[in-house]
Amino acid sequence: MYNRAEIVDENFTKFVKASHFPPARTHVNLQDSGLKSTELIDLFESQVISRHLDLRARILKNTNQCFYTIGSSGHEGNAVFGKVFRTTDMAFLHYRSGALMIQRAKQRPGSTPVYDTMLSFAASSDEPIAGGRHKVFGSLPLMVPPQTSTIASHLPKAVGAALSITRARDLGHEGLMPNDSLVICSFGDASANHSTALGAINTAAWTAYQKVRLPLIFICEDNGLGISVSTPASWIENNFSSKPSLQYLKVDGLNLLDLYQKTKALEETVRSSRKPAFLHMETVRLMGHAGSDMEFSYHSLEKIESLEFNDPLLHSARIILENKLLSPEEILKMYEGERARVEHVGLAAIQRPKLLKPEDIRSTVIACVEQKMAPAAPEESLREKTFGREYAKLSTPQHMAKLINYGLTDLMLRYPQTMVFGEDVAQKGGVYNVTDGLFAKFGAKRVFNSLLDEQSILGAAIGLAHNGFLPIPEIQFLAYVHNAEDQIRGEAATLAFFSKGQFTNPMVLRIAGLPYQKGFGGHFHNDNSLAVFRDIPGLIIAVPSNGIDAVKMMRACVREAYEKGRVIVFIEPIALYMTKDLHQVDDKGWTFPYPSGADEILIGEFGVYGDGKDLTILTYGNGYYFSRQAEKILKEKYNVHCKIIDLRWIAPLNHQALAAELENSKNVLIVDECRKTGSFSEALVASIVENMKTLPKIKVIAAHDCFITLGVAAAAGLPSKEEIIEAALQMKGIKVPS
Amino acid sequence: MMTKQGVKKERVVVICPGRGTYTKETLGYLKKFRPAFSEFLNLMDEKRAALGMPTLSELDNEPVFKPQMHTKGEHASSLIYACSYCDFLNLDPEKYEIVAVTGNSMGWYIALAVAGVLNVHGAFEVINTMGSMMKDEIIGGQMIYPLVDDNWMIKQSNVDLVHAALKEVNLQPDCKAYISIQLGGYAVIGGHQKALDFLLKKLPKTENYPFQLINHAAFHTPLLKQTSEKARQILSKDLFHRPQIPLIDGRGHLWTEFATSRDDIFNYTFQHQVVQPYDFTTAITVALKEFCPDRLVLLGPGNTLGGAIGQILVQNKWLQISAKSDFIELQKENPFLISLGRP
Repeated sequence: MYNRAEIVDENFTKFVKASHFPPARTHVNLQDSGLKSTELIDLFESQVISRHLDLRARILKNTNQCFYTIGSSGHEGNAVFGKVFRTTDMAFLHYRSGALMIQRAKQRPGSTPVYDTMLSFAASSDEPIAGGRHKVFGSLPLMVPPQTSTIASHLPKAVGAALSITRARDLGHEGLMPNDSLVICSFGDASANHSTALGAINTAAWTAYQKVRLPLIFICEDNGLGISVSTPASWIENNFSSKPSLQYLKVDGLNLLDLYQKTKALEETVRSSRKPAFLHMETVRLMGHAGSDMEFSYHSLEKIESLEFNDPLLHSARIILENKLLSPEEILKMYEGERARVEHVGLAAIQRPKLLKPEDIRSTVIACVEQKMAPAAPEESLREKTFGREYAKLSTPQHMAKLINYGLTDLMLRYPQTMVFGEDVAQKGGVYNVTDGLFAKFGAKRVFNSLLDEQSILGAAIGLAHNGFLPIPEIQFLAYVHNAEDQIRGEAATLAFFSKGQFTNPMVLRIAGLPYQKGFGGHFHNDNSLAVFRDIPGLIIAVPSNGIDAVKMMRACVREAYEKGRVIVFIEPIALYMTKDLHQVDDKGWTFPYPSGADEILIGEFGVYGDGKDLTILTYGNGYYFSRQAEKILKEKYNVHCKIIDLRWIAPLNHQALAAELENSKNVLIVDECRKTGSFSEALVASIVENMKTLPKIKVIAAHDCFITLGVAAAAGLPSKEEIIEAALQMKGIKVPS
Repeated sequence: MMTKQGVKKERVVVICPGRGTYTKETLGYLKKFRPAFSEFLNLMDEKRAALGMPTLSELDNEPVFKPQMHTKGEHASSLIYACSYCDFLNLDPEKYEIVAVTGNSMGWYIALAVAGVLNVHGAFEVINTMGSMMKDEIIGGQMIYPLVDDNWMIKQSNVDLVHAALKEVNLQPDCKAYISIQLGGYAVIGGHQKALDFLLKKLPKTENYPFQLINHAAFHTPLLKQTSEKARQILSKDLFHRPQIPLIDGRGHLWTEFATSRDDIFNYTFQHQVVQPYDFTTAITVALKEFCPDRLVLLGPGNTLGGAIGQILVQNKWLQISAKSDFIELQKENPFLISLGRP
């Protein structure tokens, strides 16, 4: 009674033998559906294979040989999507896509979907996409990027991928997808309530509303349940059927003929019009949410049996019998034949090797199968033409905002795949003018404003990167990234890991952030915590402290992203954007000429100022700026000689190089402008303690564990020049004059 | 599936050989199948006689192997079909459950017969017709070259050599060559004779390789476009039926019992299969992974595909076979590959 998988399995045979079938919910003739008879049987066969994969997973789970039992039972109608859409139509899939994958694989002879799925269940390192790191539906040849899709975080990137098709067409870019492709993205009815889903659907409509082409089909596989919670009746239809510029279509997920006829028509419409659509497939869920889910705790037996009777396989069998394509015996022969095949494939798959060693597991964190060489630097004549009147000013010292602007100009010239987008970055040139003039120089296809939604900005970046673009998105303020962080954490940063580097989404994410803005903003414009990024495996985090470093670091970032598919966060300290002076008014000590040529600062490379033996200051960003101010006073007034290490890169941190740099330091002062708890200073202290033979005296100055306030006290609780001097003197045992 | 005695049958994938397998070593192969399969063999003889061709019995009973006669397409194809089919008929249904069938090159036609897509009449017509397409003049030819080292590991330098040589030869006028078969650790190259002559000189000698396959036309290349068109004109779709055993073709596509379209399998057989590369490596890989058989059964005559199959096992590290020595060891202890044509 409790093993509903067995009951569903037995029911199929019993009901086919007895010709006891659920009545049709929709009525479409085979002839009108556009399917040939063998095509209908072929779809049914994929449904049967998918069902047996689910059943076998549960059997193997009982002996701890399978590690994933969230199945596709009830959703097997999605085999139709595997047939209708091309393997060049990128597919971001729901985790109930077994039949879809089986059917899609049939478009690529030589595919081995049964074996691959079984390897996935068994978490074998032989599994071709994730190598045993997760049970995901994914495949490079089938153009299915892997993701878990459990929180609908794959919808924003689907919008980006669809946009990439249009942009590739406009810009003559050769991506993975042909220009007449479309993107599909499937998810469940409960997931449709995630903010990621709603944001992505809104972005698609917002984009299409402005007549920007977006060949995208959202597929909501509505089984009426989110684990145990029912979706209100007609919620999906009422919620999504009247969005502006988003075509809505409802299909019967239990009727292959209805499903095929309507999906095929929609596919043709979207492919030709390149306008987004929402395909609503109504279906059922069988065998609970996962193997461990006891439906009895929230559904009556009557309700469960009613759902089970609407098994899509029974509906398909009925249609096949009604059309006299097979006999009941032949249907059951197929059913049992596939059971035996799946069983034997399962037995082989569980014997295959597993991931065991940590180094093997983490080997794919920054993997990139398709590494390439950066293009050559642009011709000088082209630079001169592009920079225009500013060309003559390149050797004139400038503040950081202007230098980054020049740097971006050169990078966009050198890498035609780059795109700059975000809030206000186009005509306005960004709220700090960092992207000023890029719109005029490179046009609306490469420099464009996004809507006000950080999830959509990051999703667009991920999706564009899937098709060979190199996005340089901007998040206007560091605090704004927090409502979208999972797009980096759960999606962008995991893609290489879960695909063994077969898929990558290279990007350089520019974020204006960190504190010390004079008189502006409060917490939401001065956020001073980088902890949200620091623990994400494989992420590169850059924090330049001055314009010349920013340009050279940005060059390294873009090259690394281009050549090795890396995901990079580039934090630009807002307070230093327009800073010109270092020690006194008008000394212009923080302005620099634009570093021409292709000079880069290597990822992980420190900047070292001075060679003082009394004290070494470890810092970055604004902390470096204040340390430089303090260093002069310490030297001239107190005869304390410092060395200042500008760490520049928050990740990766080269522990050995740091230890070597500190080898002769007796006093190490760490200056960190971020909130102390979770700040980089903690990792630095740990690194020193773990890696140095002789421990120096260590002191940390970091921001208080508090949010930044507004007005004159904006810098209260943040490290300052005075605090650095005081700490240095204290470490040297010099009494601070009162 | 169980035997009458309640023993589990061995699940096997049957592999049908291609041209070049009927040799002086296998001359007389059909004799052992009389009287068991005399009905079938007599039917073949009658059909050949009716066409004015030497019967298979006559050919098989020749006292010595005559390359100029036995390797000719119109004779070799039907001889190999008859030998293979008899081997198939001879498989003990009580012992083996055939879960899938595949083949190499001309072996695809035999696979169609084994799977029941072609009955004996249809198989004869297809195989004899296709084998006789170039009675008067063979179009192009095929040659073979190894891509693996002595341990059956892919030797990238050989792969690069073959691709470079192909690129070079295809720049010359009226001189086209293509990979025609992915054959485990070997590349089979089909093309104009002029192109093959160039490649035979260009590719470094290693043991007996490269060498040209006697009396082989440039099947599985675009050179056979007219042959493909002619085949579709003279051979009827009515010869084709639904398979009774799943079939794996030369792309690795699976044709199943109930979902196979007669039009589609007919078109594949005489279009793609004739003018595009035949990927035997992928066909065997799909057989291994999608069916996970207990054993592979290679039908006779001969055993020339045995090495290629072993190399594919190595490529997939199947059953922990990572090198030639593993395969040889396994074959000694408990053969995974049963070669029925092995002398």
